[in-house]
Amino acid sequence: MSEVTHGQSGAVVAMPVHHEHGHGHHEQSFISKYIFSMDHKTIGKQFLITGMVWAIIGGLFSVLFRLQLGYPDQTFPILETFFGKWAAGGHIQPEFYYGLVTIHGTVLVFFVLTAGLSGTFANLLIPLQVGARDMASPFLNMLSYWFFFLASVIMLSSIFVHTGPASGGWTMYPPLSALRQAGDGQKIGTDLWLIAMAMFIVSSLLGGLNYISTILNMRTKGMSMTRMPLTIWAMFFTAVLGVLSFPVLLSGAILLLFDRNLGTSFYLSDIVVNGEILPNEGGSAILYQHLFWFLGHPEVYIILLPAMGMVSEILSVNSRKPIFGYMAMLGSLFAICILAFLVWAHHMFVTGLNPFLGSVFVLLTLLIAVPSAIKVFNWLTTLWRGNIRFTPATLFAIGFVSLFISGGLTGIFLGNSTIDIHLHDTMFVVAHFHIVMGVASFFGMFAGVYHWFPKMFGRYMNNTLAYMHFWVTMVGAYLIFWPMHYQGLAGIPRRYLDKSGWVSFNQFGDLDKMITVVSIIVFAVQLMFVFNFFYSIFKGRKVTTRNPWGANTLEWTTEINPGHGNWEGEIPEVHRWPYDYGKDGREYIPQTEPVGANESKH
Amino acid sequence: MSTTATTHQTKWWSGGKSPFNLEYGKLMMWYFLMSDAFTFGAFLISYGSIRFSQNFWPDPNVVFNAFPGAGHANLPLAFVSVMTFILIISSVTMVLAVHAGHKGDKQGVIKWLAWTIVGGIAFLSCQAWEWHHLITGEHAVLVDGKLDIIGQTMGGNPWGQLVEDQAALTAALNNTSHDTLIQLVHSHDHTHSMEQLAAMSDTELKGMVNFAEMHIREKGPIAFGGYFFGITGFHGFHVFSGVIINIVMLIMTQKNVFQNRGHYLMIEKAGLYWHFVDLVWVFVFLCFYLI
Amino acid sequence: MQHPAFEEVSFQHHTDDAEFKRRVRKTTILLSIITIIELVIGLTIYTIHKGENPNHTLVLMFKGMVCILTLAKAYYIVSVFMHLGDEIRNMIMTIVVPLMLFIWFIAAFIWDGNSYKNLRNKYDKHFEETTMPKQHHKVDEHPAEIKTGKE
Repeated sequence: MSEVTHGQSGAVVAMPVHHEHGHGHHEQSFISKYIFSMDHKTIGKQFLITGMVWAIIGGLFSVLFRLQLGYPDQTFPILETFFGKWAAGGHIQPEFYYGLVTIHGTVLVFFVLTAGLSGTFANLLIPLQVGARDMASPFLNMLSYWFFFLASVIMLSSIFVHTGPASGGWTMYPPLSALRQAGDGQKIGTDLWLIAMAMFIVSSLLGGLNYISTILNMRTKGMSMTRMPLTIWAMFFTAVLGVLSFPVLLSGAILLLFDRNLGTSFYLSDIVVNGEILPNEGGSAILYQHLFWFLGHPEVYIILLPAMGMVSEILSVNSRKPIFGYMAMLGSLFAICILAFLVWAHHMFVTGLNPFLGSVFVLLTLLIAVPSAIKVFNWLTTLWRGNIRFTPATLFAIGFVSLFISGGLTGIFLGNSTIDIHLHDTMFVVAHFHIVMGVASFFGMFAGVYHWFPKMFGRYMNNTLAYMHFWVTMVGAYLIFWPMHYQGLAGIPRRYLDKSGWVSFNQFGDLDKMITVVSIIVFAVQLMFVFNFFYSIFKGRKVTTRNPWGANTLEWTTEINPGHGNWEGEIPEVHRWPYDYGKDGREYIPQTEPVGANESKH
Repeated sequence: MSTTATTHQTKWWSGGKSPFNLEYGKLMMWYFLMSDAFTFGAFLISYGSIRFSQNFWPDPNVVFNAFPGAGHANLPLAFVSVMTFILIISSVTMVLAVHAGHKGDKQGVIKWLAWTIVGGIAFLSCQAWEWHHLITGEHAVLVDGKLDIIGQTMGGNPWGQLVEDQAALTAALNNTSHDTLIQLVHSHDHTHSMEQLAAMSDTELKGMVNFAEMHIREKGPIAFGGYFFGITGFHGFHVFSGVIINIVMLIMTQKNVFQNRGHYLMIEKAGLYWHFVDLVWVFVFLCFYLI
Repeated sequence: MQHPAFEEVSFQHHTDDAEFKRRVRKTTILLSIITIIELVIGLTIYTIHKGENPNHTLVLMFKGMVCILTLAKAYYIVSVFMHLGDEIRNMIMTIVVPLMLFIWFIAAFIWDGNSYKNLRNKYDKHFEETTMPKQHHKVDEHPAEIKTGKE
């Protein structure tokens, strides 16, 4: 293989780009090295750090509205100091509350767990693990980050406009979100939200196209598809999901923008606002929900699959055992990817969806339990009788499996339309998706950060802080979300800022206080993680060996701090799958080692 | 096209080469088009969903029956078929441009690209005329017990059901404004100029209105206009960007960029995009004009 | 023979000029003919609509035919003009297989749209009265969708 993988590249239409492939040997200016960088590793770090900033903002918002939920009668004068009219008299105002909930959801689902998770690790790991010098098109990869940045700036600016940010919930359902008259949050804030999302979709599209074509085209010699680490397979399916489903949200968002600004009636019909009869006629609000969830459901897997892939890898490496059922893992990833597109309307059982159509969606939804169960079984059997090293990454990976099981089981409740009619829009739903999608994916992300930090920065993170981080987060996550199941079963609706009007809900007052206190503690521990992260970049213990975890995959064959281009000399050739751990009396056999004459077959 | 070389024993998936024998740029273009197909698909399927949720939907042959310069003649499907052929032909010229690129024939590329651009601009002009005609059209409709003259816009649709009830129309005439009456009469009475009509009294004008010559309708489904302008607009935007891309390609060819690079693969990618625009039109044509 | 600029590409397509021209000409003519047939069907539907008591089954059948013809057109554009037909089989599959998602995408959306109409007709009598086409009158047009049956 020659020095240059893809000599001349044309990039996309109308954008002829000549990018240099100096592979890190030439001097780069600060700007081209750290800001407008085309190195996939730097872009990955940019995604990660931007994602962390967003996670802090989104997490802080959740602490604020938890204060309201836990202590609805108390005043917090400090809030008025910071937020002025939004927290007049130290009370979180309703508009503020809805804004907080909306931005918390949007930011964590899209900006943190989509961009921050798959943006980070797809960028970092795909070229390193398939054996490529960089992404197929480094330039588009850079654009992908900067579109994300632009989306971030717009979303952030929407928080500071006079009438406040979008506050129609993260799903932005019309007619509420389509009508300016409906409230302050439905004014400019919602337009900015929609524009930010459009930019975000462009970013994720550019990224996704790059991931797919890199994985297909840029694999090194010998790296057949079934020799790829499961991480890469997961990233591949994530990218496919994104490329095919995000455009549908784009269409939905464009139609919503039209309804808001051009007087069309795609989603609006028979509406009276503040005594004014609107001329809109013939639209269907259910249509928006269909369009939204056609993305929204695959989005759940866009968030979850990268975590699944990384967890598979980390569990195998750290239990010093081959992954159990590689092909079954791959098949279930594929099955999840397909089913993800077929089940969207299970979010809409109570909207007036045709009940018979709903029953078809129930059937398809419950099918997802099969590949999910296969995956759980395989993770557990990978750990079974393994020689487990409890690194922070391993702990988080095991935590992921635990959360995925707990949250997945409640998914079976909600996937049944008959039970969902009772549970819809209650705290039960909040508990379900926070555990299975929110916290579980965060655990995957933490596992990834702890595991690949040595590759990113050539240093280790502090272990003591990491173990504290794990245990507090693990216990805290269950303490926060487990009780919400009971609240939901008792009928407490989500998104309500004050439920004191219902006498029967008063019994949950102390429980709500407990949840609030725990969520503040957990949030503080996340700040500790952020501190650990940045401190370790500069002061962490240095990595002294190329392969600190004794792993088989290609990223550990590079230098400790690889330059742009990843490998000094030729890209190594691959001779085996990545899970030869504990084989023939050897602890691990890297992928680059040719298969010996007397080696046993796997 | 035929393929040469060793296709038989190649292990396509073993790494170190593209499994599809395509450079990454073309692969990305294909998958981008897939993604874009889902954008358009979502629009068209939404349109279908809304259309199925209505009891009444205007017949496209009644809406799209005008032709530039043909006045009020009823020519359903005529103009849109011209537009369709323009796009098909421009697709063919694009194929020829790509083919010329394969052969490294710079002059051929320039010639066929130029024709493609002409086709694109012609299509956009047709669309501009059609939009203008629909928006500024004057159609008598019965709204809330009075007659009104409206065009086809985002928020209004004059293509509802025909009003059969003569008594309702006569009653509506009494509530109709002077300006509307002038337009109503003017639409079928060409013996008087607008100024003359304007000078007449309401009673005189009412006497001159001839319902038999007018197709007075109720207002139609509002979503019709939104979808029509939204989707053809989005398609038109694609055509527009395609034209821009082709112009850039033309300039780059002229400046020998591809000649020096040794291949014309960029033209192929631009070609894929252009054909996709044509492909989308095939479906827009089906959904809005044919069924 | 490797591609001069892209290492991952193993061989190049070679095109026979005359053969290629013939194919393009053939496809162009085919596309034109299909379009003309579509236009004829479109006008037929228009004529049926204009007549007394339009036959809805016939209209539906013609509409189905136009849809099939459109798919044929799409096939020729993608296969010949976009050269997908000349690619390796696996490449064709990566494009065609994901498009299968459209089947359920279309079916579910249309199904629910239709159900929404039925629900509204059932529970919103004003909607039914104001929008349902009058059955017995001279028409020059008709609603595109004809099913008004109950759920």
